[in-house]
Amino acid sequence: MQELFNIFIRSIFIDNMVFAYFLGMCSFLAVSKTVNTSVGLGIAVVFVLGITVPVDYLLNEYVLKAGALAWLDESLADMDLSFLSFIMFIAIIASMVQLVEMVVEKFSPALYSSLGIFLPLIAVNCAILGGSLFMQEREYQTVAQATVFGIGSGIGWFLAIVGIAAIREKMRYSNIPAPLRGLGITFILTGLMGIAFMSFLGIKL
Amino acid sequence: MKFLRNFLDKQKPHFEKGGRFEKLHSTFDAFETFLFVSNRVTTKGAHIRDAIDMKRTMIVVVIALMPALVFGIWNVGYQHYLSQGMAYDFWPMFGYGLLKVLPVIIVSYVVGLAIEFAFAQYRHHEVNEGFLVSGMLIPLVMPPNVPLWMVAIATAFAVIIGKEVFGGTGMNILNPALTARAFLFFAYPSEMSGDKVWIAEKADAYSGATPLGHLLVGEVDKLPSDMSMFLGTIPGSVGETSTLAILLGAVLLIATGIGSWRIMVSVVGGGLAMGLLFNLWGANAYMNIPAYQHLIMGGFAFGTVFMATDPVSASQTKRGKYIYGFLIGMIAVLIRVFNPAYPEGMMLSILLLNVFAPLIDHYVVQSNISKRLKRAKVLAKA
Repeated sequence: MQELFNIFIRSIFIDNMVFAYFLGMCSFLAVSKTVNTSVGLGIAVVFVLGITVPVDYLLNEYVLKAGALAWLDESLADMDLSFLSFIMFIAIIASMVQLVEMVVEKFSPALYSSLGIFLPLIAVNCAILGGSLFMQEREYQTVAQATVFGIGSGIGWFLAIVGIAAIREKMRYSNIPAPLRGLGITFILTGLMGIAFMSFLGIKL
Repeated sequence: MKFLRNFLDKQKPHFEKGGRFEKLHSTFDAFETFLFVSNRVTTKGAHIRDAIDMKRTMIVVVIALMPALVFGIWNVGYQHYLSQGMAYDFWPMFGYGLLKVLPVIIVSYVVGLAIEFAFAQYRHHEVNEGFLVSGMLIPLVMPPNVPLWMVAIATAFAVIIGKEVFGGTGMNILNPALTARAFLFFAYPSEMSGDKVWIAEKADAYSGATPLGHLLVGEVDKLPSDMSMFLGTIPGSVGETSTLAILLGAVLLIATGIGSWRIMVSVVGGGLAMGLLFNLWGANAYMNIPAYQHLIMGGFAFGTVFMATDPVSASQTKRGKYIYGFLIGMIAVLIRVFNPAYPEGMMLSILLLNVFAPLIDHYVVQSNISKRLKRAKVLAKA
């Protein structure tokens, strides 16, 4: 239990997808214009990460890892399919994103149209694939750990995009120098937020 | 005075539209309004009659900083001679401190104001007075031994990246003084942390650890007495050590209504709550120290009174201020106890909440809107 809690806190604050690894920047920068849209996208990312990471964990554990196929047949024990992990993970992610897209379109057409192309593009959001690859690299022990890690990373990303969206809503009234308007100031803003998030760097859990 | 007025009046036409120095209008305007109260009055439309404007606001904050500054200057000298094992009178200590602190103040003001003025000319807006306070806060949060060129770089970073790119005073997201300190903290960690930097020209054999430094390595018994931490005769950043001097400033800020008492009270509440929570947990010696000690150690008091209450980067709504302050207090103590990399959590927790202040405001406003809508519906039905 303690271990799960640590992974959860770590993945939200210390190893924040956006401010510690700068993953998932494209949609982070492009969809963070208003709080309401970014809440929608954030929830979608939490959902997708929360499903794909444990599914990819099972896939990795029982198919891809060196010797993972031993449960099938003794002769397959020295089989190592981990070179397939990228393509397998992407396939899982793409199908999950299809599912999310259908759900969002059915239940919230307004959100669906405001997210636009970025909803299907979650499939190529680096934070999602990053979540699965970190899961593989950090060698989580159980499926519960992988789930908690996936949801935590999603919540970290959610916090980041909602935070920057609120700032950008406020910044609409600022007289920003013309060359920096739009993306330029958003990049600077992301850097400054990164400084603030560095407060968690170095906490040992 | 008369002479000065005449001089300004004589020069004024050169800076008006069509004059020789038209481009430098905002520089002239800044000096004129700094020296004299403007004689322009509003003639029509609704307006509020009040003597307070941004210049007066900022000057009140600078005055509130004076006790902490004077004490800080004395303490720099006191700590220096204490580490050398020598005892001196008041004036030599004060003089030594002045020699250390005054150059930092001058550098921070010169660099910061130069950039402010340049931006104001170039972008044709008035010179804003926000930097009067930031320029005083920056020296107060620096360790006494900080090299001057670092102060210059940090000030330039804070003013340009932290403030001017967002459109100048009133538009910044993070507190400029804390941005300067955080910049140095991450760019030159060896000059901004550790046990060496907190006493100017310290004798080698003398331990220069701050109370937080002692706690971090678990030396609870080496902690100074509560009284000396409250009075501030401990090593630390120039302005942060004396809780008493900071309280004097807090009284002025609250009495004039310039600093928000809501934020100050809730930061203290958050810090105490987290401290008590750790007392209950009590997993190590650091968690067992009395909760009130967190308030008098390190930058907690200084941050509470002067940094968290920054009207620009704090939450704007009343309910938001309580949430904002409480979280600052909690996270500051949390980082102190949990994060072995950073002994001082106050700076980082304020920066973190600066980032989330707009979000807190957003949800407070939304909840007010939905509450009123509900009330309107009830009324419509009745």
